Amino acid sequence: MSRINTLLRSGLPLLVLLVPESAHAHLVSTRFGEFYSGLLHPLTTLVHLVPWLALAMFASMQGKAFARRSLPLFPLAVAFGVLLGISFGGLQSLLIPNILSFVVLGGLVALSYPLPRAVGLTAVVLFAISHGYANGDVDLADGSLTLYVAGVTTAAYLVVALGAGAAVAISERAAWGQIALRALGSWILAAGLIYGGFELMGVSGA
Amino acid sequence: MLESTSRPIARLMILLVLSSWSAVSMAHAEVGVAGGLLSGLMHPIYGPDHLLAMVAVGLWGAQLGTPAIYLLPITFPVVMALGGLLGVAGMPLPFIEVGIALSALALGAMVAANLRPPLWIAAALVGLFAIFHGHAHGTEMPDAANPLAYGIGFIISTGLLHLTGILIGLMIRWPIGALAIRVCGAVISGFGLFFMASSTGLA
Repeated sequence: MSRINTLLRSGLPLLVLLVPESAHAHLVSTRFGEFYSGLLHPLTTLVHLVPWLALAMFASMQGKAFARRSLPLFPLAVAFGVLLGISFGGLQSLLIPNILSFVVLGGLVALSYPLPRAVGLTAVVLFAISHGYANGDVDLADGSLTLYVAGVTTAAYLVVALGAGAAVAISERAAWGQIALRALGSWILAAGLIYGGFELMGVSGA
Repeated sequence: MLESTSRPIARLMILLVLSSWSAVSMAHAEVGVAGGLLSGLMHPIYGPDHLLAMVAVGLWGAQLGTPAIYLLPITFPVVMALGGLLGVAGMPLPFIEVGIALSALALGAMVAANLRPPLWIAAALVGLFAIFHGHAHGTEMPDAANPLAYGIGFIISTGLLHLTGILIGLMIRWPIGALAIRVCGAVISGFGLFFMASSTGLA
């Protein structure tokens, strides 16, 4: 019985790793296409996915109460940002906040730095609006706005819920959990420094 | 106790190895995010001088114990990224190959001699070498299929090499293990000497 449990526990992560293979399905051409487009855009774009994961880790490190508040707040603010992006697009200067989000969130996780709750939640909302806005830079077919926004919002919820949940579980169940999270934060900080420098030097491509 | 803590680590390592197989299947797809990530992941591994120096950082951290065991590997990628920026900017760094070879030589020697300097000296030494390693990665970044993915790839790879060194370094709890680690350090230092000779044209 315990061997079956072990097999299941080892096998499930592998199955999860195989999930991206099924993302090549042809659902984009169905009437739910824009939902999947919205869902996959942030999940397949490192510029969004990596800071979102950093935010999930940051939320978990601020305590469970903070993480629970972030769960509804982050996706809703992302949805608002997407609507802003679709309605008032063309704001190119958002590159700077997105670079800052890499560096600041990575640094906060690496340092395991506690913030006052109000400051932290405000940062979560501003970060979410900024990244939502960047996800709103799309050409949508008529009537598909709701589906697209729902897709991006679902992705935001999934990343923050699964990321924060995993981070809490690791830090509570393993002695090295906190250190692992901080190390990951330092990796994100390093990636942010490289990405930021690369972009600001005018050699775009990320 | 040891068994209960090593099991999750063993599972994680098996999972990482298995998940890296899918990357191998994308071997000749040096395009987009996948190509950038793959080339970034592979860059430190294909360079034996990088690889040995990264493992040596982990070994030395394990030898020095808390807090160095996590402070050195957390500091290294950040300083390496700053070195990478110098490379991206095209800023020349003299004796870069010598610096990288010297890092394997010096860090291996530290492990072999079981030297325990104050933490700030250890961090400064590791940080200095990180700039050379980062610069080498950074110079290749603008040509990568996807620069951000390349950057993330080489940072993940570097971190996992540190982790490899730390996991090997956990043998320090047994006397024979502590000796084995020092031998590993001596071997790394020997390779560093060879790299140094190669980079200066003596070998």
